[in-house]
Amino acid sequence: MRGISAVWIVARKEFVEMIRDRKTLFFMLVLPVVIIPVLGNVVVDFTLDVAKEEATKTLEYAVFDDAGEPEVEAAIGRAPAFAKVEIGSREAISAAIAADEIDFALVIPEIDRATEPLTVELHFDNARQTSSVSKRVHGALAGYGEQLRDAKLAEVGATTAEARELLLEPMAVVERGTATAREVAGEVAGGILPYIFIMFALLGALYPAIDLGAGEKERGTLETLLLAPIRRRDIVLGKFLVIFGAGVVSATLVVITITVWIAAKMESVGGGAGELLSTIGPLDMVLAWVVVLPITAVFAAILLSISIYAKSFKEAQSYSAPLQIFAILPAMAPMLPGVELGWGTALIPVTNVSLAIKEIIKGTIDPMMLVVIIASSSVIAGVLLGLCTWWFSREEVLFRQ
Amino acid sequence: MLEVEKLGKTFKLPRRAKAGGKTGGVDPRQEGRSFHALREVSFKVEAGEILGLLGPNGAGKTTLLRTLSTAIAPTRGTARFDGVDIREEPRRVRQRIGFLSGSTGLYGRLTPREMVSYYGRLHGVPAAELPARVDALFAELEMQSYADKRNDDLSTGMKQKVSIARTLVHDPDIIILDEPTSGLDVHAAAGILAMIEGLRRTEKTVLFSTHHMHEVERLCDRVVLIDVGIKVFEGSVAEMREAGGDEALDRAFLGLLGKGQGATLRKGAA
Ligand SMILES: Nc1ncnc2c1ncn2[C@@H]1O[C@H](COP(=O)(O)OP(=O)(O)OP(=O)(O)O)[C@@H](O)[C@H]1O
Ligand SMILES: [Mg+2]
Repeated sequence: MRGISAVWIVARKEFVEMIRDRKTLFFMLVLPVVIIPVLGNVVVDFTLDVAKEEATKTLEYAVFDDAGEPEVEAAIGRAPAFAKVEIGSREAISAAIAADEIDFALVIPEIDRATEPLTVELHFDNARQTSSVSKRVHGALAGYGEQLRDAKLAEVGATTAEARELLLEPMAVVERGTATAREVAGEVAGGILPYIFIMFALLGALYPAIDLGAGEKERGTLETLLLAPIRRRDIVLGKFLVIFGAGVVSATLVVITITVWIAAKMESVGGGAGELLSTIGPLDMVLAWVVVLPITAVFAAILLSISIYAKSFKEAQSYSAPLQIFAILPAMAPMLPGVELGWGTALIPVTNVSLAIKEIIKGTIDPMMLVVIIASSSVIAGVLLGLCTWWFSREEVLFRQ
Repeated sequence: MLEVEKLGKTFKLPRRAKAGGKTGGVDPRQEGRSFHALREVSFKVEAGEILGLLGPNGAGKTTLLRTLSTAIAPTRGTARFDGVDIREEPRRVRQRIGFLSGSTGLYGRLTPREMVSYYGRLHGVPAAELPARVDALFAELEMQSYADKRNDDLSTGMKQKVSIARTLVHDPDIIILDEPTSGLDVHAAAGILAMIEGLRRTEKTVLFSTHHMHEVERLCDRVVLIDVGIKVFEGSVAEMREAGGDEALDRAFLGLLGKGQGATLRKGAA
């Protein structure tokens, strides 16, 4: 029988079987479409909610004024959502904050007005990352601080705005960032997106691979399949194509979902974050998708080799666990500070793909390097597929005792 | 016609298995990491003949049948189906073989029709003839009522019939069966035996291994008995009774094993 048609016969049957498997369908179709929007929304909405809550909730505070500065307390009182509370003594401040009785306390020590500036000690829980206490207290007191400063400046004769400016800031360092907004966004998104793409390419291929390899042994269908008068290579190719296809479908769905989600979220997030997200275009996503293809083929070939060696689903599952680690760790490289795409990192499989996706998202990919990465990943996939075929013709593998 | 010529198979054992066999005792077939599962086995089966392959557990029956069906390659010797050599043209041999073993399973998410058609295609049955061929097989085996249900939902007996249909879909000349009735109830086993009996009328060459002497009595023209990878007897059922010194086949079987070359080997090793 001619090779192509044999490959096709095997692939078609494996495909039919695959799409009738609920578990595979879930991992290949449902998970990539559902998990990103769900997780993404949860994270974004939660972050926004927390920020909003922190900015508007009423902050309870205590004041210990030794300097006789009622204006400080009055300024806080004028700001929205502050409420004064009495607590025993200033020694009890830390305990009261820990016990959530107050959010912060102000202590104004006695000073020599002539030589010392007015000091306001702000006691608050600085271990709470989301805390807006410091920001809000600074905001509330800013006006009174300026008032005091203007008074002092007037004393030394600086009455105009220009004179004040000159006196306060005789030298200014002005930052002019050279990175485009897209690069800034890419630095953030480029750390996480490649990891998601690569993960889903692997996840989509995982279950079909286990089923198409170890499943044949577990069900006792392998022996009769091997007796079909077609080349082993054609069996391997047919199976490989379906596993590869499953990985590609999963990766494609996750790329599409993320693109759509970003577009949708851009509007609802609005402001600076929305603008940053909008710099990542659909075309970049297509390019990122292309880079994922050869690495998906690499995964498919390795998974099929592992799976055909295993005697059962269980064995195949435990043998493929290390691959998941070996695929996922290098895919996380772009999240590490200082790891960038260069001719050195371009040679590390998976990591190179991951870093290339980041550069694509940032819009700074070197086309030459992209070609090299795609070509080298494809060559690796081809070699692994060849090894898989050889592996598939070994009696020790097929008829393991 | 099948001619088996000094067929031998040696397995390379994994490193950990070096000392002693699986049982811990000394197996006469083991030499370092080499395990001589089959030693120079020769016999012939004529077209239209049903040959029974007998032997105790671990004798090498499955190894022999796997080698003949080209699933594994022989280490020494060869075999020819109507002159086609298993070493030289394994794929042409496969085209003509139907293989079924007691442990053969089904693709659970396919229907019998899909599964049998798949094997038909794999064996190069022309697409134009395949549907009619499958229909005819299903009619013959009385499988029409469940031809389009999932294999997973079928009873053991139904599954066995799917396996039979799969074995026969490409109309093989040689049918190799490795303990085809093992694990089946009387009813399902009867289906298999009826199929083998039906094959006799069609001038096929049948080679099947079994542990059941009543199957041998009912079906086999001749038998080959192997022990520790060595052929210890070849002849008709009547000759087996005579050589084994007992009218009852199972006792004749034990008798032959007791005086065979295998027994000598085992004693020598112990
Ligand atoms: N792939 C293999 N590697 C190493 N040893 C093997 C392999 N396959 C079979 N053997 C050994 O060869 C011997 C013959 O095994 P085989 O399965 O052919 O016996 P059998 O006659 O079919 O037995 P049974 O009646 O139990 O089915 C056994 O000792 C077995 O352990
Ligand atoms: Mg056996």
